[in-house]
Amino acid sequence: MSARDLHGPGAPWGGAEPGARSNSDFKVVGQPRPKVDGIAKATGAAVYTDDLTFPGMLHAKTLRSPHAHARIVRIDTSKARALKGVHAVLTGDSMPIKYGVIPWTPDENALAVDKVRFIGDPVAAVAAIDEDTANAALKLIEVEYELLHTYLDPFESLQRKEPQIHEDKKGGNISKSVQLEFGKVEEALAGAEVVVEDDYFFHGSTHAPIEPHCAVATYSADGVLTLWSATQITHYVHRALARVLELPAHRIRVIQPCLGGAFGGKSDPFSLEFCVSKLAMVTGRPVKMLWTREEVFYAHRGRHPMHLHYRSGVTKDGKLVGVDAKILIDGGSYSSFGLVTTYYSGQLLTGPYHFPTYRFDSTRVFTNKPPCGPKRGHGSVQPRFAFEVQLDQLAEKLALDPIEIRRRNFQGDFTRTVNGQRVTSNGFLQCLDEVESASRWKERRGKLGFGRGLGVAGSMYISGTNYPVYPNDMPQAGVQLKVDRSGLVTVFTGGNDIGQGSNSMCAYIVAEELGIPVERVRVVAADTDLCPVDLGAYSSRVTFMVGNATIDAARKLREKLVAAVAEKWECAPARVRLIEGLAIDLEDTARSMTSVEAFQLAETKFDTLGSTGSYNTPKLGGDYRGGTIGASPAYSFTAHVVDASVDVETGRITVHDVWVAHDCGRALNPMIVAGQMEGSAYMGLAEALFEEHDVNRFGLHRGPSLLDYRLPTSLDTPDFHARIVESIDPEGPYGAKEAGEGPLHPSLPALSNAVYDAVGIRLKHLPFTPAKVLAALREKRAAASVPQGVR
Amino acid sequence: MTPEVTVARSLDEALAALARDGAAAHVLAGGTDLMVELRTGRTRPERVVDVWKVGELRGVREENEGLRLGALSTCAELLRDSRVASHAPLLVAACREVGAEQIQARATLGGNLGTASPAADLNPALVALGARVRLRSRRGAREVAVDEFLCGYRKTLRERDELIESVLVPTRPAHERQLWRKVGTRRAQSISKLTVAVALAFEGACVSAVRAAAGSVGPRTLRLATLERELVGRPLSPALCRSAAAACARADITPIDDVRSTALYRRHAFARVLATLLAEPDGVPACPPS
Ligand SMILES: Cc1cc2nc3c(=O)[nH]c(=O)nc-3n(C[C@H](O)[C@H](O)[C@H](O)COP(=O)(O)OP(=O)(O)OC[C@H]3O[C@@H](n4cnc5c(N)ncnc54)[C@H](O)[C@@H]3O)c2cc1C
Repeated sequence: MSARDLHGPGAPWGGAEPGARSNSDFKVVGQPRPKVDGIAKATGAAVYTDDLTFPGMLHAKTLRSPHAHARIVRIDTSKARALKGVHAVLTGDSMPIKYGVIPWTPDENALAVDKVRFIGDPVAAVAAIDEDTANAALKLIEVEYELLHTYLDPFESLQRKEPQIHEDKKGGNISKSVQLEFGKVEEALAGAEVVVEDDYFFHGSTHAPIEPHCAVATYSADGVLTLWSATQITHYVHRALARVLELPAHRIRVIQPCLGGAFGGKSDPFSLEFCVSKLAMVTGRPVKMLWTREEVFYAHRGRHPMHLHYRSGVTKDGKLVGVDAKILIDGGSYSSFGLVTTYYSGQLLTGPYHFPTYRFDSTRVFTNKPPCGPKRGHGSVQPRFAFEVQLDQLAEKLALDPIEIRRRNFQGDFTRTVNGQRVTSNGFLQCLDEVESASRWKERRGKLGFGRGLGVAGSMYISGTNYPVYPNDMPQAGVQLKVDRSGLVTVFTGGNDIGQGSNSMCAYIVAEELGIPVERVRVVAADTDLCPVDLGAYSSRVTFMVGNATIDAARKLREKLVAAVAEKWECAPARVRLIEGLAIDLEDTARSMTSVEAFQLAETKFDTLGSTGSYNTPKLGGDYRGGTIGASPAYSFTAHVVDASVDVETGRITVHDVWVAHDCGRALNPMIVAGQMEGSAYMGLAEALFEEHDVNRFGLHRGPSLLDYRLPTSLDTPDFHARIVESIDPEGPYGAKEAGEGPLHPSLPALSNAVYDAVGIRLKHLPFTPAKVLAALREKRAAASVPQGVR
Repeated sequence: MTPEVTVARSLDEALAALARDGAAAHVLAGGTDLMVELRTGRTRPERVVDVWKVGELRGVREENEGLRLGALSTCAELLRDSRVASHAPLLVAACREVGAEQIQARATLGGNLGTASPAADLNPALVALGARVRLRSRRGAREVAVDEFLCGYRKTLRERDELIESVLVPTRPAHERQLWRKVGTRRAQSISKLTVAVALAFEGACVSAVRAAAGSVGPRTLRLATLERELVGRPLSPALCRSAAAACARADITPIDDVRSTALYRRHAFARVLATLLAEPDGVPACPPS
């Protein structure tokens, strides 16, 4: 690992002890403060992709497949082209090159070339003077389909090889299959005191960001394509455009404007980005496409439905001896991130508990449904749900307190997991302590009477991984700083701010390092012409990686400032401190100058001021195929306690309170961290109780609207109590780790466990609909009324 | 593609437009149903008559027989009206659970009746209240019981040139208990999985008259005849509440599976909800039930 990667967790002007855990040496970091774009968003001034308009701009619309699986026999666009106001009509043959976010599995076309694979698959695109004309033109496009067998059941996809959803794929309809074993699981389970074996089901859910996908493209006379897109990974979109449009990448500029939420749903390159680009090139006019809410549901890339089978064994004092998992993953119609999902479904379960032995067998299959992909907690929320419920089942058999069994299995910090992942800081025990005391667990659990109960669950998640989706040894994150003579510092970062606050994070770090107010830092982000590459907002990597790169760049700049001031004052550089917009002499506090003067001195001495910084992960991961997938420079840890009641009359579950304790290393801005914790828990409970992304027996989405895809309203939302645990990671920026995805995981199993405490039914199949609850209650009553010894 | 819109400023103008355009025209009130249908293509009118500004269709008036509610009364208006609150708390409770505040500001009584969705929330309340709808056209006016007016799946007795003018809610008998319960998919912005509305009059300890209706458990807003028969003339004991609710769930409703729920769940939950509701002392809960 080179020096650029590691700065230590201490404050830049650290006290005596560089690794100091205390926040008191920081001026900016660790304090609650608004996001840098908060005012612009709150006042409506923020510019989102759909706010962009250009003279002569055309509007584009997509024709989508009405069939779940069909061959395209013929497309006739002549009538659409002839319609007044239509400028161009594209079909798949205009962009035949396949793409996919994972370079090993390119199986998508911007527009269907020969086949459609789900209801909603894009088939043709029209650019016209306005949306109404474009929509009218869509109706004039004639497509003849030859229907093929439709796969809706993943078990069928596993068995049946013909017809293939992707014909050039080896092995029927299997998208990816991974079998890994660490230690001897069978032997370990044979020696266990108690083994629990059970089936669990996790349904599909989607991101539902407020902003639908939107993209605008212009193509200049000198051949430069500029794309503004609501994406969370500018860099991969850039690469994908170059590939599909067969343009050199230097002639393409991708910009992400202000973004209205993503949650993983904007991590793939999407059809509309290629379509508006191609349409702009064909027509010479700016072209915009804004998806309707319905189209966002079709584009999906949300949570994979998983059928999970777990078998775990413990010793008589509750220590895990082995865990065995078999998982069938319903991938929908395309690969998307599926290769990673399949690995994550097994690789990310090996903490915060010590698994002496572990085996998983995960298979992702294709079905003719909207493609699944990464949603907050990618690939690991589902196995976490199953395992944390199973852990409660084990605790019950041993008559152990559910928190206690989790404590007993704690893996410790600075350790290695059974699958070879390096774990650094680990505040999980403290997370358990926090939720235990805050929820008054000891006094209340099991004592709330029939109908109300408490449940607990834990989890861990990555802060980025050392697996860049395309192999390369360049930095994962780069940052560039530029200084104006006014004292303004501009940060250029490829990092995508998708609402999580990454731009704010960059500004805080630069302000901290240079001792200037946050308002004197401006952040220019996610513009491939202006900003150094960052791999994008996914896998909870941005704070960790871009944060470290920002520290790296800021320290280099700071050195120059300090050197210039020290030279002027004829003192040792160690005496110069940059603080609160000033440079001061630590030994002669009467001596100071403003930071503007310091910047100007440095510019005089060194020439135009600027610096770059970068971050790359150290070498990590197990020494086996796929061992780097899920290998993170640091893991976050979470524990939840959920307080819920069950209405036995309607089967409705009401969640009253959720205590969320999350170890995020150091909270760079506790307000944002708490927001992420609450938002995550909200999203998890929403999936558990309300949301369902599914299709009917024809493969048609069951409710592609916000009325029928039921996000909880504020009335349905419980009180969240965020407890931040700061374990101070040695490698994170000032010790920070992730906070945006980890805190989602425990909410679903903790709720299931709370329902068990409340009414004695084990909910193992998501979502927990009133109908399922009533059915389970009925079953329980029936079982109880059968007298002992009868049959 | 886009329909031609006539903005009527008075009842006469609206009736004239409907008489002229007949089958081609659709009335637009708050638009919370119609706009959705235009967007999905379920309704493709050539003309739209916007009645939102027709003053004669607005407002609440006390009459000898009861309260007359203008067809344009929005949920928000009904929620704020003290006469409606004391006369028809059942209706107020239903209004409170329609959509959320934004929808309540536009959703009208006439629109709920006009769409005649089996999942409509105001309609079961109106049936249980024994309300009558007044229809008017250039040919004259007529009054029909809401129960008859809602004659099938999204079907009403309205002729194409008729406007829903108002609804009469008959004077509330002394000691009438009004009961309401909606089970939705979430606590706001949710289409009902089931609703029950009951008005119970008593003579001494015995039930003297019952009107009961339910939503989302059949092709139209259903009148619960079995329940009514089972309760009349008897004291409302817990056992009766249970047995009458069970009989009603067997005989009066015909639920189906759809995106919001299953038939099995609806029948099961319906019986339990109804039994508990009948046994509730004050019927309409003070705040929306969870
Ligand atoms: C997000 C959302 C949530 C909703 N939630 C609920 C809910 O919880 N409960 C519920 O019951 N409904 C709900 N609805 C449906 C809708 O709000 C109600 O049915 C409402 O009462 C319709 O009233 P409106 O004035 O908006 O009707 P409009 O859309 O204007 O009209 C509806 C129909 O009635 C006809 N019509 C309207 N007024 C008259 C009149 N005076 N004379 C003749 N015909 C007329 C129209 O031609 C049209 O066919 C919801 C709708 C939305 C969009």
